[in-house]
Amino acid sequence: MEDLTQMDRAMSTQQDIKISAKNVQVYYDKNHAIKDVNVEIADKTVTAFIGPSGCGKSTFLRCINRMNDTIDICRVEGDIRIDGEDIYDPKVDPVQLRAKVGMVFQKPNPFPKSIYDNVAYGPKIHGLSRNKAELDEIVEKSLRKAALWNEAKDRLDAPGTGLSGGQQQRLCIARAIATAPEVLLMDEPCSALDPIATAQVEELIDELRQSYSVVIVTHSMQQAARVSQKTAFFHLGNLVEYDDTDKIFTNPEDPRTESYISGRIG
Amino acid sequence: MQSLTTLLFVILALAVAGYFLAKSRALQVAGGDIRGLVSLPSQHALNTVLSTVIPPLAAILLISLYLRLTDGNGSWFFTLVVIGLAVTGMALSLIGIKQQARARTFAERWIMGLLIFASTIAIMTTVGIVLSMLSETINFFGQYDWRRFFFSTEFTPRFQGDSELGILPLLWGTLYVSFIALSFAVPIGLFAAIYLSEYAGHRLRSVAKPAIEVLAGIPTIVYGLFALFIVGPGLRDYFAQPMGFGDSAISVMTAGLVMGIMLIPFVSSLSDDIINAVPQSMRDGSLGLGATKSETIRQVVIPAALPGIIGAGLLATSRAIGETMIVVLGAGAAAKLSLNPFEAMTTVTVKIVSQLTGDTDFASPETLVAFALGLTLFVITLGLNVFALYIVRKYREQYE
Amino acid sequence: MKTSLLTLDARTKKRNAAEARFKAYGLSAIFVAMFALLILLTSVVSNGLSSFQQTFITLEVALPEDKLDKSGVRDLAVMSRVTTIGYAPVLRDALLAKLDALDIENPLSNRDLGNLISKQSAATVRDRVLANPDLVGQTVTFDLLASGRIDGYFKGAVTMESAALDGNTSPEALTIAQALADVGVIETKFNWNFFVWPDASVQRPEAAGLGVAILGSLYMMIVVLVLALPIGVASSIYLEEFAPKNRWTDLIEVNISNLAAVPSIVYGILGLAIFINFMEFNQSSPLVGGLVLTLMTLPTIIISTRAALKSVPPSIRDAALGVGASKMQSVFHHVLPLAAPGILTGTIIGLAQALGETAPLLLIGMVAFVREYPAAYTPEAGLFGEAATALPVQVFNWTQRSDPAFFERAFGAVITLLVFLLIMNAVAIYLRRRFERRW
Repeated sequence: MEDLTQMDRAMSTQQDIKISAKNVQVYYDKNHAIKDVNVEIADKTVTAFIGPSGCGKSTFLRCINRMNDTIDICRVEGDIRIDGEDIYDPKVDPVQLRAKVGMVFQKPNPFPKSIYDNVAYGPKIHGLSRNKAELDEIVEKSLRKAALWNEAKDRLDAPGTGLSGGQQQRLCIARAIATAPEVLLMDEPCSALDPIATAQVEELIDELRQSYSVVIVTHSMQQAARVSQKTAFFHLGNLVEYDDTDKIFTNPEDPRTESYISGRIG
Repeated sequence: MQSLTTLLFVILALAVAGYFLAKSRALQVAGGDIRGLVSLPSQHALNTVLSTVIPPLAAILLISLYLRLTDGNGSWFFTLVVIGLAVTGMALSLIGIKQQARARTFAERWIMGLLIFASTIAIMTTVGIVLSMLSETINFFGQYDWRRFFFSTEFTPRFQGDSELGILPLLWGTLYVSFIALSFAVPIGLFAAIYLSEYAGHRLRSVAKPAIEVLAGIPTIVYGLFALFIVGPGLRDYFAQPMGFGDSAISVMTAGLVMGIMLIPFVSSLSDDIINAVPQSMRDGSLGLGATKSETIRQVVIPAALPGIIGAGLLATSRAIGETMIVVLGAGAAAKLSLNPFEAMTTVTVKIVSQLTGDTDFASPETLVAFALGLTLFVITLGLNVFALYIVRKYREQYE
Repeated sequence: MKTSLLTLDARTKKRNAAEARFKAYGLSAIFVAMFALLILLTSVVSNGLSSFQQTFITLEVALPEDKLDKSGVRDLAVMSRVTTIGYAPVLRDALLAKLDALDIENPLSNRDLGNLISKQSAATVRDRVLANPDLVGQTVTFDLLASGRIDGYFKGAVTMESAALDGNTSPEALTIAQALADVGVIETKFNWNFFVWPDASVQRPEAAGLGVAILGSLYMMIVVLVLALPIGVASSIYLEEFAPKNRWTDLIEVNISNLAAVPSIVYGILGLAIFINFMEFNQSSPLVGGLVLTLMTLPTIIISTRAALKSVPPSIRDAALGVGASKMQSVFHHVLPLAAPGILTGTIIGLAQALGETAPLLLIGMVAFVREYPAAYTPEAGLFGEAATALPVQVFNWTQRSDPAFFERAFGAVITLLVFLLIMNAVAIYLRRRFERRW
């Protein structure tokens, strides 16, 4: 059975649904921030959320690993499932969920610890290693996957805050990968980076697609076009259009999408 | 005293006269049309008042300082100088009233001088503290060997002289009480701050925060009374006596416990500021990895806030060391080097009070020792404060 | 390998338990703090409320001419030769007459019976008689202070058992007092005089009041307000609005934040050395106390004033400068009025701090025993130059007395002090709420 799904995935990455959201509503106090969003996100794919600022794309992203729980006034309704399991079910512990659904934030936010401890933080709290050797291995693997190993291997004990902006963001990606997530959420991961660092992170995102379902929020349409296979366009809390990235950028169906793509709104 | 009051009234009268003279003269110069003036009549008047008042007042300050230093008495000469200054100032400013005169600029210069003078009072206070204690301390060490002061393990002042005045037992009591106080206040204050800022709902916060602030507003004499009559007897009857630790109501434990309560709000409000300075993005990063809130706090927030928390702890230590009324009423007056926290011991501040109150002879080492103790206290707390404020400032800058 | 989100694994359960424990620590810390506050306040109130009540004996006192006025012509010079000791038997006789009239058994000696009445009462009656000599020869009804032990008995502090061991009273005396109370001759009632009377000597705790202390504290607050507010505001304006950024102003700033953390007792030493020993101001005077408290309060006022000035947006200054006002005018006409509520709040909080401060006042001699109400100004002592005490110092003073009847009064004084502080803080909060501006 397991083998079969593996083969299945290898043949067609597009078909496997990882996350499905139905009739999702989000309220901040009285403000209706997300209106009736339905979306199905595939595994082993990069999905981009685009839209003008304040359109709700980040809010929706934060629903997927229940980061919105940390905001008192935020209320989420509807149904979000990962692998068919309702993540807002009372039995679900957000802590366990977030181990499965990692998140990378807008501004690089390394902990004030060493590079090693930054990456080892997740595995330590989730108990993913039995001994130091295993932990070392996880750290190395994660740093390699995040394309930071070569730059960091000689100074694993140096503070993570001493790295450059792009390196810090890759460290945060390594930190997220280290907990062995299945989904990786990225909230404008390149907005605080310079063009060279951005290119490096984008390249990395493309590679991560082979192992994870990646959802990325971006305000840069070029970035969405470069890294994603699927694109969702949000506007004023509505999911306006969701389709293959090529289609969205070349032949959008909704006039609002078209105006945004062509730079008339946003 | 009387002549000074009269003198002040004379100056005041001159100022009032100057005000009206300047106003009418300004109008006269303007020829009835004040649009011709560069400065308004009221500005000329203000300048005249300030020119009349400030120089003689400054002179009075300087002269009385001079008289104190030389032990002299006031004389007609000084009175003449002061009144002369007032009259000259008034006359000069009145003559200066012309159409083109910029009275506002002059008045503002006087005011600026006053502002600068006010801001130097803080410096003068520090200088005053240091000088007053230093001179008496030097006096003290002229009569009493400094090695005995710093290294003797006994503090037994006697009226007839030949006292043993070693600071060690006092320092020991001070540090012991402070240690107990901090071991109550730091965990409780820190945990309270963490809970209030990270967990508490609106309802609890709206009750607990003001309650803790009330603790901060209670004068230390009230805590002292609380220690003497409530906590002390309570500790003695329920802990010390049944457990055989002694039967003194006033003890290091009594004073330490009550001082701990006093310091809770201090620690918690400082920690609150410091914890809130840790950026939310760092918490998000940890929560986003699936850490629980407590894991986030223990492994990310607290390590990030550590320098600030240490700074807060040092400030609290300096508070504890300098606290007086709680130890005067709660810790006792017997200078002792003992480990038993249920025994009465004494502190530096208690001895400063006891050596400087009552019938004191300001030439005897038994009295002068208080200044040496005060200077020691000042140096220790100053060092702690400077260091703590430096740490806290560095910490803040890191997240700005 | 695949785990369902719907089932909690063992590790998550363990981590959630750790989370719950951590939360419990935090919650218990808060409860410890609130519990401490509760105990503190209830013990102060329960120990101190009784001091606002006082036991009085209502007696018809016959004022015989042969004892009180040997001259017979109401010559004050002659009358004042009769001391309070001479009045004591008069009061005792009145009490004896009362006992006879009420048919109450009296096993006490005359001296012991006289001890039911406070020694202060004789002085009160004497003052009344000297003020109005015509009273001599008449029978006048007086509300006389009962002695401290009798007062303690009606407040529950003295019992028959403790009285048996006490040289100052006896169970028999208490029995008589109880009998008098039963018929309403002895009454325990609210005592305004607690706030008015001066301190009293060790032998008469029942007559001790807060009058001098309240007056002394009031004088000191006036000194602090008059000096600290203008100096604090002036130096804040300079530092916040005009001072160039250089080493000198840096030094002032570091200095101010350090002064705020200097132990208060050090200010006491400063006051003793500078104001009393060097400048030779009067010991125990509210002037010196006020000066010391001013220096102590200045950093608080400066810090809050600067915060208030800082919160006024630069656009206000720009607007004033834009219409041709000088920098000084823009500050005094526009910034300062807008910052005024914040400055006032900070000042009141600083004053409240100063009002509760004890340690430095001990060193400048305010522990002295003062029974004379200090005058605000006398030609000899100058402004606020007469000896006084202060509220918190009075509390300390009473804790040092041997008679436990003073302890109740110490708590009573604390309640009074706390009420004053409460009012000041309430005013500060009101000002903040009322005038708070959001830019």
